Amino acid sequence: MEFPDALFPSYFGTGPPREEGGPNPAAGWGEHGQVLEASPARRQAETAFVPRRGRTGESWEPADAAAVPFLLPNASCWIPSLAPQDILCRSTLRRKLRAGKSGAALDFTKQLGHFFVDHPEDAFGSLGQLLHKNFYLGNSKLRRPARSSTIRMTALMEEIDRLEARRGCPRQHLVSRLRWFSHLCRDWLFEVPLGLLADCVHEELLLQWASLLFDDSPTGGALAWLPPKDVGACVGQLVYPGGQAMNHLYFQDVVLEDLPRARGSPAHFELNGRIRQVAAAQVDGEDFVGVRSDYYCGVWRVPGRTGAAPAPLQVIRTGVPASCLTVSPHLPGELSVCTQSGAVYLWSVETGLQQLRHDPQTMFFRDHSPWRWSDFTAHPRVLSCADRTGLQCLDARAPERCHFDLFKVGEEAGCQQGERVVLPMYLGRAHPSQHLVTTQFSVYVLDERLPLVPVLKWAHMMKAPPLFAHLMPGGPGRSHKVLLGASRTQELLLLQYRGKRWGFFRRGGQSACQLAGPPQKLHSIAGCLQHLPAQLPHHHHLLQQRLSTPAAGLAAALQEDRPRESLLVFQLSEVGDVFCQRLTHEEEPCASPETSPAVPSPAAALRYRRWLKALSKGCREPPRHTWPPTIGQKRLFTRKELEVLAEPSALHGQVRQRLRQAMREGGRIQRWDSPAPQPPALLQPMGPAGGLDPLSTRLTAAWSGDWEQWWEDRMSFNIARRQRALRERRRRQKRARGRCSLSASFTSSLTYQSELSELSDAAPPPPSPGCPHVLSREDSPPAGSPRASASPDEALLSSQSLRCRGIPKERRKTLRDYLAVWAEGPPEPPEPPGSQASQLCIPSSQSQLSSASQPRRKRPRMGF
Amino acid sequence: SSHEHKLNFKKSKELCLSYIQDAVLQKQWKRAAEFLTFYIESLEKDFSREYVGPSEIIWRIGTEILCHHSRSSMKEFNSFIEQMKTLRVKRYLKVCLEHAFHLLCNGLIDEAYENLSVAESWRFGEQTVIQDKEMKLIRAYRGVLDYYSWSKQKNVLMERGQDGFEDLSVEQEMHSCFRKAAVNLKEIIKIPGVWDLFVKCYVDLLEFYGDHDEARQVLNEYAYNSKFPANPNAHVYLYEFLKRHGESKKSLISALKILHDTVPSHELMIEFNTMLQKSKKRKKRRLGLKVIFAALDYAGWKENVKAWSCLARQVKQIVISEKRLYWIKQEWNSRKDWWPAFHFSRYLAKKNWQENESLSHEKALVAGILLGKDCKYFKYVSHQGCKAQVKRFRILKKFVNKHNPVYLRISR
Repeated sequence: MEFPDALFPSYFGTGPPREEGGPNPAAGWGEHGQVLEASPARRQAETAFVPRRGRTGESWEPADAAAVPFLLPNASCWIPSLAPQDILCRSTLRRKLRAGKSGAALDFTKQLGHFFVDHPEDAFGSLGQLLHKNFYLGNSKLRRPARSSTIRMTALMEEIDRLEARRGCPRQHLVSRLRWFSHLCRDWLFEVPLGLLADCVHEELLLQWASLLFDDSPTGGALAWLPPKDVGACVGQLVYPGGQAMNHLYFQDVVLEDLPRARGSPAHFELNGRIRQVAAAQVDGEDFVGVRSDYYCGVWRVPGRTGAAPAPLQVIRTGVPASCLTVSPHLPGELSVCTQSGAVYLWSVETGLQQLRHDPQTMFFRDHSPWRWSDFTAHPRVLSCADRTGLQCLDARAPERCHFDLFKVGEEAGCQQGERVVLPMYLGRAHPSQHLVTTQFSVYVLDERLPLVPVLKWAHMMKAPPLFAHLMPGGPGRSHKVLLGASRTQELLLLQYRGKRWGFFRRGGQSACQLAGPPQKLHSIAGCLQHLPAQLPHHHHLLQQRLSTPAAGLAAALQEDRPRESLLVFQLSEVGDVFCQRLTHEEEPCASPETSPAVPSPAAALRYRRWLKALSKGCREPPRHTWPPTIGQKRLFTRKELEVLAEPSALHGQVRQRLRQAMREGGRIQRWDSPAPQPPALLQPMGPAGGLDPLSTRLTAAWSGDWEQWWEDRMSFNIARRQRALRERRRRQKRARGRCSLSASFTSSLTYQSELSELSDAAPPPPSPGCPHVLSREDSPPAGSPRASASPDEALLSSQSLRCRGIPKERRKTLRDYLAVWAEGPPEPPEPPGSQASQLCIPSSQSQLSSASQPRRKRPRMGF
Repeated sequence: SSHEHKLNFKKSKELCLSYIQDAVLQKQWKRAAEFLTFYIESLEKDFSREYVGPSEIIWRIGTEILCHHSRSSMKEFNSFIEQMKTLRVKRYLKVCLEHAFHLLCNGLIDEAYENLSVAESWRFGEQTVIQDKEMKLIRAYRGVLDYYSWSKQKNVLMERGQDGFEDLSVEQEMHSCFRKAAVNLKEIIKIPGVWDLFVKCYVDLLEFYGDHDEARQVLNEYAYNSKFPANPNAHVYLYEFLKRHGESKKSLISALKILHDTVPSHELMIEFNTMLQKSKKRKKRRLGLKVIFAALDYAGWKENVKAWSCLARQVKQIVISEKRLYWIKQEWNSRKDWWPAFHFSRYLAKKNWQENESLSHEKALVAGILLGKDCKYFKYVSHQGCKAQVKRFRILKKFVNKHNPVYLRISR
């Protein structure tokens, strides 16, 4: 590939960046940058100039009003991700914000408290057991002999509660009793020394906060497109992660049509950790797919024949989380891996790992980020390696000696102060010696042959740093297209640039790199919300949250064989939903200023409906982890024990019959009362009795435009009621679970999210005494009837009746618990049979998977 | 309260800006223009002490819209920019420069020249570093335009032939253009940067007036001053200059050697290799082999027939003479673990054979010598070639079979 005849003029300085200022909302517009003579050969004619930016590009118009779901929603029990309010001190935050300072105060004590509540065994295990007898939690006074060796904790607990209530009060002072207690036992009570534990919690808290501010683990994106092998074929493959913990890897055949369609069921692999990145490259007609999770990297080969199954080749394990995995476009089975310890490896499937560099320090100036990246260059033995401060190229044959600086955050590239490298990418498919580097402010195109001076620079003005990029090389006379994607804001930007010849000159020269046409914003996943059918408000809220989860990957496919060339862009979200959108190429850009259609096409609308249906189906099933644990009753009582009573009363017979029926139907007994006409329990309008009827007020509010306010009021009106219901439910659950599920206890850090679902669960049915009401499993979740044991069946379970049946005292409680559990929710269904095609590829002996997929980790907490 | 008012105003300003951004990014120029007219109001109460004030935002977005709006005209554009120039003094030079670029790209060279001249005479207090740089660029671009008019007049005179030079007025004007251009161009190329355009113009001027020493010095400075970026074009310009002036082979080779050291994948490496191969000195021929091997390391050269035939020719020569096989051996040593997969896979044999027969021929020769007659690439291509009854492939097969022991000596 020839070097351009002449480059655009630019100054070259050295040293740290001088230009200050942060993000500029318009920095990328209105500039031509520089100009260059267009045709040096024909000097006789009128000279023409071309700008570095601002030439017309190809016109690509969105074919639909919004992104369309490509696959059905990922069946994940979706855990809302950590939000700032979960780990920040609220009051402090508010105060600080008012003062205009951006410093954040982390709520360290709350998190430490959570740890003690959630993991009491780990926190106080042995001493807790030792001192078990010396603590008394009851209300009654202690008797004389016990008083000498037992402490009554109730008062202490009350004071703790009071302290909690006064939180944030300026006149808060410590209670002497608490002080005394903590002084007394600080040194010996804790299983892990308190200082050490606090350090760990604090460190984790800082890490979580840092990842909230900017999470670089998905850099590169976890979505890859494997183009059709034969020219003209329209079946490619999409590689994406899925499953609850995003630890399943799928290879899905995709038929490229107006709306791409999945063909057949995907090849499926279960991996041992959350998939962070999927990288792919084609060498010698075969695709190599690299998959990165935190501690494992794997490589698959997808043979060139259509329909051939992908084959796993090798897996490596890293001691420190890997931050990068790229696949060589030059040699089959070669990859490069970087870890957060600053090591860069060349990984060959045949010869194994070769460490090229190990340097925990950053290259050009000091930056705290452990993030490292590496990619291939025009020379198969030279790798680029990057950290936040810039890029260097290393020769794998002599990495210490042979290296040169490719990009520096500094005056060389005209960077701004505070600018950092976010994602480098080798643009080999467009031009063998060009590289893309994105920072939070700009995108740069670099040429290895002219290091340090970007051949193209553009301020992208994206709100979040672009973590994903995808290149679609253009053929002769066409522009190259680059898609940039941000994670948190789901932004997608299409850029075009040219670096091809535009005529034949003296040396058959090439033109310098130019940005072509105005950059274009594409649809984000969240943008389709307005085109979905109307939802109930809380469903709408849930849907909004689901659709606006951060993006996790980006891929695109070019369809050239159709009458109208089109571009399919796939976007993956963090919860594993894959959406796509199509852009069509307009031959004459200025002929029709076609804007994107306002409403989705019927085909798209159908997909929305299907997707929603599948989503609501997946959501209606209550998340498994909130179900109470079940107890096997087989070994509880012998038949003999149960058959003691000689003369069963009519009530007993009736109850037994109900019980049998319920077991036969696989349902459950909701209440031990007589069957009454079931009241319409669903979505009771919640409102005050007096005044207008709720519908009228609601409509009035909607008409006057403050419907939202109405909803807020309505919610707050119900807060008291809801709290009561929650408290009741919690008490009941505690009683029901007994000792077996301490860790699943309820604390105040429940997010709004789950409270909302609690609310909809707890639509209170009017209490009507009578016969037991049997709910079949298809019914809505059980109405939270806290008085399950306050019905006539009390007689059945009273200690007297149990005693007279000869049931020993210690089992009576178990039986009661058992029945309470039974009254509460259906038993856990058996595990769904695993997919046949699923293979456990990465050895799962390490507990990586369990920590990532633990469904119980619902509350955003410290990762213990 | 006024504080709240300010806050609201700021908020709505930001909102308006985000609407404009959205519209511009979706190429809805008309919508963007409408919002921009509202946004201009923000100039009235510019409380911001931010780095980027609304005047710059308006200039940038307005320019962008006017560049793409289907109904905008050059007249409108000019009047908008003239207003922008007075809006913010600090960015005056930048706006002028961009305005000139726009005029240049639309073929309005005289207007651009005028514009640059006006900008050049601008004075406003102490100049900042950026303004100084912008001023130098403005002068340099004006120099380039002067150069073009010089070149046009030169062509006029050349066309008229010998008698043309009697037209004194044209000649005088030409010389005055030269002076104006030379002064400004000379100024900017002293500062470190990428000045391909300016250097080329300046050297052309100097060459015409016979000032070769100055031209050579400028090019040397541009290529070898370590404060300048490692620009391959600087070496190319110097090399071409030396070639034009019939410099000795030695100086040509040394110029290209430096280019080879910085950019081994430069397209001039073929010329360099040919030059070296012709040399009588053993050392230079050896360098030639090194150069062509190094060039073929790069992905961009994979299918370059010229380069492969250079390598094939030289390898063949060495093999026939049976001397200095260790040259090949030494080059091959650092490549034998990855060249077979990179260049000589069966997939590539098939592909090269289908797409470019001569390429596959040259590559097969190299593969046959370096990897022996049993290598996949050679086997496939020679088989296909013989099957298709192409004579040169039969010769190739015979040659490789005859010299098969060479492979053993190289790979040992």
